[in-house]
Amino acid sequence: MSGFLKIAIRNLLKGPVTDPYPFGKTFIPNKLRGKLKVDPKACTACGTCEEVCPSGAIHITKNENVYVHTTWYNTCCFCGNCEFFCPTGAIKLTNDFHTANTEEEKYRFTTVALISEIKCESCGEMFVPASEALLKRAYPNVNDTIRELTKLCPKCRRKKAFERLYQ
Amino acid sequence: MSIITRSPFLFRINTGSCNGCDVELATTAMIPRYDVERLGCRYTGSPKHADILLVTGPITARSKPYLLEVLDELPNPFVVVAVGTCPTSCGIFRDSYSIEGPLERYVKVDVNVPGCPPRPQAIIDGVAKALEIWKEKIRNQK
Repeated sequence: MSGFLKIAIRNLLKGPVTDPYPFGKTFIPNKLRGKLKVDPKACTACGTCEEVCPSGAIHITKNENVYVHTTWYNTCCFCGNCEFFCPTGAIKLTNDFHTANTEEEKYRFTTVALISEIKCESCGEMFVPASEALLKRAYPNVNDTIRELTKLCPKCRRKKAFERLYQ
Repeated sequence: MSIITRSPFLFRINTGSCNGCDVELATTAMIPRYDVERLGCRYTGSPKHADILLVTGPITARSKPYLLEVLDELPNPFVVVAVGTCPTSCGIFRDSYSIEGPLERYVKVDVNVPGCPPRPQAIIDGVAKALEIWKEKIRNQK
C-alpha cells in the first residue's frame, strides 16, 4: 500500500511518466532474467544445464578438442534453471532483454561459448579440466597439490592419487 | 501513401496462451508508461482492419480453427509478430499432443519476440521492427 501511495504522490507532483524506451534509455531491474552469459573458463561441459533446461534451449556438442555450448533464445523460457543448477556458477542470466528478432535471424539468435580441452601432462589424452570454481566447491582448501592433479586426465589422476596414498 | 504508412492497426489473438504475454501486451498498450501508440499504431477489434497481427500462445488444437479464420480475414499486406516463446517455437510445450504449433506452420512470421513473457520494451521493439517491414511491404506492393 505504501508503494502505491508513493507512486500516487509522485505522479501528483511530477505527472505520469512514459518510459522513453524506443527513443531513449529505459529502466531495467537488476534481477531481470534475460539472455545468458556463459563463462567458458568456469564451465566444465558437464551437461547439467542441458539436462535441466525445460525447453531444450541449451545444447552442448563436441567438435575437435572443443565443446560448443549453444543457447537458442527462440525456445528459451528464461526460467533460470541453468543458472540455479550450474555446479560451477559458469552460467549467469544477465538483464539484457533485447529479444526481438526477424524471421531471417530466427535460427542464428544464439549465444555460443567454446570450452576447450587440454592435454594430459602424463599420457597426452585430451580432456576438460576441473575449473577453479569447481575445485573451490569440492575442497575446503584448494592447495597446489590439488591444482597439479587437475592437469592430469581422470585415469592418470586416479593412478597418481593412489600412489600418493601408499607411498 | 505517407498517410497510410503512419497508422497501422494492431490485432491481437490468443491461441492458448497462459495469459502472461497478454498481460504484457495489455501493459504495452494501455499503461501510459509503455505506450505503444507513440509509434503510430492502434489496437483494433476486428482482423479485417488489422495491418499487424500479434499472436500469443502455442496454437492449441482448439484454437487452431480460430487462428486460421483470422488469417483468412486479414487484408494484404499484413505483418505477423509472434509474441512470446510459445508461438515462436512452442517452447516448453513442444511435442505435446494438444499443440499444433509453432505459428510458422500456418503463416509466414515476420518478427519473433521470444521471452516468457517478453518484457514490454521487447514487445515495443518487435512492433517497431514489424512497422518497418510493413512499410517495406506497402512500398513493394505499390
